[in-house]
Amino acid sequence: MSNEEKAAVATGEELRIGVFVCDCGSNIAGTVDTAAVTEYAETLPNVVAVVRNRYTCADPGQNEIKKAIREYDLNRVVVASCTPLMHEPTFRACVAGEGLNPYLMEMANLREHCSWVHGNDKEGATAKAKDLVKSAVARAAQLQAREETRVPVTQAALVVGGGVAGIQTSLDLAEAGYQVYLVEKEPSIGGIMAALDKTYPTMDCSI
Amino acid sequence: MAYSEVEEVDGYVGNFKVKVRKKARYVREEDCNSCAECAEVCPVVVPDEFQMGLSSRKAVYLPFPQAVPASYIIDMEACLGTNPIACGKCEEACEKVCIDYDMKDEIFELEVGVVVVATGMDVYDPTELDEYCYTRYDNVITSMEFERLICAGGATEGHFVRPSDRDVPQRIAFIQCVGSRNNAGDKGNRYCSNICCMNTVKDTLLLRDHYPDCECTVFYVDIRAFGKGFEDLYMRSREEGVKYIRGLPGEIRQDPETKNLFLTAENTLTGEVREYEFDAVVLSVGVIPRRDSALVKKLLSLSTTGDGFYMEAHPKLKPVDTPTRGVYICGCSESPKDVKDSVTQASAAAARAMTILNAGHVTVEAITAAIDPALCTGCGLCAKVCPFNAVEVDKEKKTAWVVSAMCMGCGNCGATCNQGAVTMGHFTDDQYYAQIDALLDEDAADKVFTFACNWCSYAGADNAGISRIQYPASPRLVRTMCSARVTEDFVLYAFVKGAPVVLVSGCHFADCHYIDANRQTVKRVYRLWDKLEKLGIRPERLQLEWISAAEGQKFARVMRGLEEMRQQVTAEEVEHTKKVLAEEWEKKLAREAKRKKKAEADESRDEVQVS
Amino acid sequence: MSQETKFKCLKCGHEYVEKYAPDDDIERACPKCHSNSVRPEKPKKADVAEKK
Ligand code: SF4
Ligand SMILES: [Zn+2]
Repeated sequence: MSNEEKAAVATGEELRIGVFVCDCGSNIAGTVDTAAVTEYAETLPNVVAVVRNRYTCADPGQNEIKKAIREYDLNRVVVASCTPLMHEPTFRACVAGEGLNPYLMEMANLREHCSWVHGNDKEGATAKAKDLVKSAVARAAQLQAREETRVPVTQAALVVGGGVAGIQTSLDLAEAGYQVYLVEKEPSIGGIMAALDKTYPTMDCSI
Repeated sequence: MAYSEVEEVDGYVGNFKVKVRKKARYVREEDCNSCAECAEVCPVVVPDEFQMGLSSRKAVYLPFPQAVPASYIIDMEACLGTNPIACGKCEEACEKVCIDYDMKDEIFELEVGVVVVATGMDVYDPTELDEYCYTRYDNVITSMEFERLICAGGATEGHFVRPSDRDVPQRIAFIQCVGSRNNAGDKGNRYCSNICCMNTVKDTLLLRDHYPDCECTVFYVDIRAFGKGFEDLYMRSREEGVKYIRGLPGEIRQDPETKNLFLTAENTLTGEVREYEFDAVVLSVGVIPRRDSALVKKLLSLSTTGDGFYMEAHPKLKPVDTPTRGVYICGCSESPKDVKDSVTQASAAAARAMTILNAGHVTVEAITAAIDPALCTGCGLCAKVCPFNAVEVDKEKKTAWVVSAMCMGCGNCGATCNQGAVTMGHFTDDQYYAQIDALLDEDAADKVFTFACNWCSYAGADNAGISRIQYPASPRLVRTMCSARVTEDFVLYAFVKGAPVVLVSGCHFADCHYIDANRQTVKRVYRLWDKLEKLGIRPERLQLEWISAAEGQKFARVMRGLEEMRQQVTAEEVEHTKKVLAEEWEKKLAREAKRKKKAEADESRDEVQVS
Repeated sequence: MSQETKFKCLKCGHEYVEKYAPDDDIERACPKCHSNSVRPEKPKKADVAEKK
């Protein structure tokens, strides 16, 4: 049994993957042949819809994803755009808005890891982009829906350092009604600023 | 809590447990009314650190008049001794009986939802710069010492006198960028300390205000007066007759008689080289990260940028967040900045912290580990490597389980378990094998297979992208939360699939986001090297690198190196590896299948027993 | 106990000696090329035997 089939059996449903290839204006499309990547994505196993967008993270781009989820009854989404460290939350929220578990969304990093660093090797970059999409699709086939746990937040803050920054933060937080613990290493708060005479640009006293 | 230090931080966003040590002051701060009787009788005199050592204080002292808390404190290093009591004068003198020689450090345990780090900065020590002779000549002082001399509450009650003869100097030079903007990088720092230009402009105006006849000369590289109202202040200083000379002096010499100072400098605007005579020289010293910043960094799993300041989660969009959720940074711990910027950033950090506090709850990413009791043999290896003690083992029942709320999802246990009993949520073994398959099915020989950890090396690759640092297109990256997720079998499988070179990369030791999980990465790589060698495969083909989120340069350099290496791996070599390892792999699969079968059999037996 | 151990850099081939114990908490890098792919040589059986 191939990995894809295994996953399908596990979830008891047919895999329907949608791939969204992003141009990011010319950020990606300037180097990577996104049209070729789009075509290639169509040939990948379990992929039932491929859409190319100018800016996938913008509203029209996100709407395309939502529309495709409805139209093609997608149960996995691959966004081939930029780094997940930036936009994973964006696209997770986007698919969740359409009722898909956010953990069924996977990203391929065609920008930070590809177009931006292989600007003078268009062919190599396109080949790499295809691989990255292929890898993301393969991973998507294995993804499982997951539930996040909600944990309560203790209504208190620790501020480390009692210089001018620490004092200001503490005051703000305290004013907003939270318990604040300000920890200062030295015998007195005040930090470096307390040791200054006057401060620029208005030449007022520092203490 | 003043005079306290954070010793331990446990837990996670919304639920941090913090241990704080409140150091003994030996003076009960609630009772002390700063009457100063104790200091009067104290016989010990030591240099006063608040006045930069320019005056002295007693062993029992108030750090400075406006100190908060307004309580005296005994410096036990300086005190003549309390066990047995050698002097005891202050205790006798204190009417309110707040002196307590037996006071002990106290440990407080706090529970907080968020943490803001505002640990500030230190001041550059110019001793290493031989050309400025800071320690050799009395009348060369730092800008920090200047503050304490000109301040009415300072060592000389605001009389700016030079140290050698306590005369008011008439001719004063300021030297800019001391310890900053040194591109040679051998001494001092490369970065601009941001505040020293304006600080000097301010100092010249203070001097002109206190001593209208004095002559001030500023030697600078560039005057950076970019903030609101800064240019005006700079112009005012120029109008006051302060001389600005573009060019730094090469050296300072001293007249042994008068202790006056001679500077030779080239004015790079006019090309004129000449010698100047001054009564005093102020070194406008730069800002450096706190010397003990590594401590807090470790406690809270923060990262630092190349210059040693704490790193933000994103340079533009998340300037006060850190890679650790629920922890924020502000002030000079993040980068050198002035008071206004510190206050602005502090409020920003407070606001960010409040978004979590106000919401009242946070969601934890569903990427935790789970242990399959049917496969688990209760060996406890996973519990040993878990940095968060999230695995509990029952040796008798021969089983183990994960406490989800404590699991951070590093995957160390998953990579350790040799029974295949651990499933990492959202980062399963199957998902990785599927990715390795996808990436190496075709043209494996052209690719450099790379495992990169989420927080550092993957982010480092992003950093290379953001900075547009170019490197060859051969690498194929797979993301793991921690490099400790990289199971030995993943690496072997990549070789089975024909990878010429494999890289395992993660955070530097100090940056590991799972305390010290990546130490296990090293052990696994060592074992893999041994194994490869035994099988007649060049261990060099497996590489290990630590790349931080800020090291885009290093990432690109490593990638270039790997590409060179890849080109040297021959097709025969790859074929040989595939053949040798394929046999190993078959054996492994057979072992696994057998284990699974047995587990299933056990399970059905259990069920029979139950029914 | 940490012992003088021979390390080999698997990137540039440089060999050098450094104190090493299996459980020390030290990030290692090649002194020549700064690569972290540095491999400690296993103590030879003969050495161990000699010590006894
Ligand atoms: S994934 Fe990491 S944190 Fe979670 S149980 Fe395993 S070793 Fe511990
Ligand atoms: Zn080397």
